[in-house]
Amino acid sequence: MTLFQKRKAINTFNMAMCVATTVFGLFWLVWLLWTLISHGIGYIDWEVFTEITPAPGNDGGLSNAIVGSLIVTGIGTLIGAPIGIFAGTYLAEYGRNSKLAALVRFFNDVLLSAPSIIIGLFVYEVIVVTMGHFSALAGGIALSLIMIPLNVRITENMMRLVSDQMREAAAALGIPRWKVITRIIYRAALSGIITGVILGIARIAGETAPLLFTALNNNFFSTDVLGPIANLPIMIFQFALSPYEDWHHLAWVGAFLITFTILALNVLVRLVLRPSK
Amino acid sequence: MTSSTTDTLNPAGASVMTRDTHSPTGRQQTKRETPAEASAPRQGVVAKDNPCKIKVENLGFNYGKFQALKDINLDIVDNEVTAFIGPSGCGKSTLLRCFNRIFELYPGHYATGSIEMDGQNLLDKSIDLNVLRSKIGMVFQKPTPFPMSIYDNIAFGVRLYEKLKRHEMDERVEWSLKKAALWDEVKDKLRANGSALSGGQQQRLCIARAIAVQPDVLLLDEPASALDPVATLKIEELVHELREEYTIVIVTHNMQQAARVAGYTAFFHLGEVIEYADTDSLFTNPREKRTEDYLTGRYG
Repeated sequence: MTLFQKRKAINTFNMAMCVATTVFGLFWLVWLLWTLISHGIGYIDWEVFTEITPAPGNDGGLSNAIVGSLIVTGIGTLIGAPIGIFAGTYLAEYGRNSKLAALVRFFNDVLLSAPSIIIGLFVYEVIVVTMGHFSALAGGIALSLIMIPLNVRITENMMRLVSDQMREAAAALGIPRWKVITRIIYRAALSGIITGVILGIARIAGETAPLLFTALNNNFFSTDVLGPIANLPIMIFQFALSPYEDWHHLAWVGAFLITFTILALNVLVRLVLRPSK
Repeated sequence: MTSSTTDTLNPAGASVMTRDTHSPTGRQQTKRETPAEASAPRQGVVAKDNPCKIKVENLGFNYGKFQALKDINLDIVDNEVTAFIGPSGCGKSTLLRCFNRIFELYPGHYATGSIEMDGQNLLDKSIDLNVLRSKIGMVFQKPTPFPMSIYDNIAFGVRLYEKLKRHEMDERVEWSLKKAALWDEVKDKLRANGSALSGGQQQRLCIARAIAVQPDVLLLDEPASALDPVATLKIEELVHELREEYTIVIVTHNMQQAARVAGYTAFFHLGEVIEYADTDSLFTNPREKRTEDYLTGRYG
């Protein structure tokens, strides 16, 4: 075998392995999506969005869990996105070489990989115990703690992608630093920062563990942020473990809704990012 | 500090440097005089009888521990184009970046000595950097349109220092785009994004942006090195036009460019000014051997 043929053979082999691993990964994803579709889609009807979770054997829907999930995720985003963006701004602009920034970056990475159940327990100790009861607010705070490190990291990275020449050009016009950041750097990094927020929402929308000790659950319709609230992940958890057939169906519907919402958010991210490329 | 046109560089008000309200076109012109040849004993001083806009004295500059400039003495002549030439790493851009103190964006970079303009030391800590930079504009090597419309690219800087009515702003934008020889190409798409322009157009937009705030001095850091020959020619013609009204300092790698646009040229080597003279005598009759070697391509 000549050297060239050998190189070609190696190339073919490696190429085949790459395709094989891709197919392997996609296989499970497609299987998962297919399972969700085949089990979930058949039970979706109007009642899912209008009726609250039923007692076993009764008809019902998921409206309380859907609204609850929206509320808890909303609170998490409202708290988490600004803090994450501002902290990321500090790291990218003011704290490039400072020791404090290095420390913040390190602990942010630790937080990024912290098990979510720990975050749930932490918020339980700090908020739920202090308040004396479970609440949507505590759930939102727990979710924000998951969102913050994600947004810090993405915001910093995206702002750093804006070239220093842009900062120099703006400073050379006599533009004050804060205006350079808010009017020019943010604008240049906007699609990236929005992407970070959407990915953060997608991440916290499906979190279960932080909500177990915080938002708990609620079998009735509630929009009270200071009381326990229903939400899709924990509803899925409870209904799937139950012995009742119709609860299983609702759990499948919930899983289907949550997964395809996250999928839709990820597709949205692609669309947001496209024009900047 | 945002709307008044009489800001002083020195917040204490003791400064003689003020943002005057001269009309864009009503600047005084200074006639170009022939500098007395080789009459200046001190390196970097062209001639005593030329009006000096910026006086650099004993300037040193450090990037951390590395000393990039050593004891620079240089007079920048008023209403003239001065070119800095020299091999890469010789300190010419570094000196340019001292004039508007843009180096202060980075920690560990510092300058010593003095840079005097209109009777004030620009390196003085009490000077307001943003006002200083509105008086000394700068255009960089790489065109950097801001992520906004062509109109806003220009209006953005102006709004910081002057409160103009809408039609006044329109006029200012048109005036600066005409000055930068870009008006005819963009007048129908002022609301389009600045990054939609070609490289050469973007660079002229950056020049328009810089002159829109009506600085006294314009610093050009290799403004044409990323552009093709046609765009380069346009930039050079522009520099030629603008020198009637501004004191311009241009850093260039291109010696022909210096010869074409500059009235005075300084040759830098290893952080020092080797020779500084009017462009004609520097190119045709260099006093220093090192200048001659560089100009004839023997090193550098």
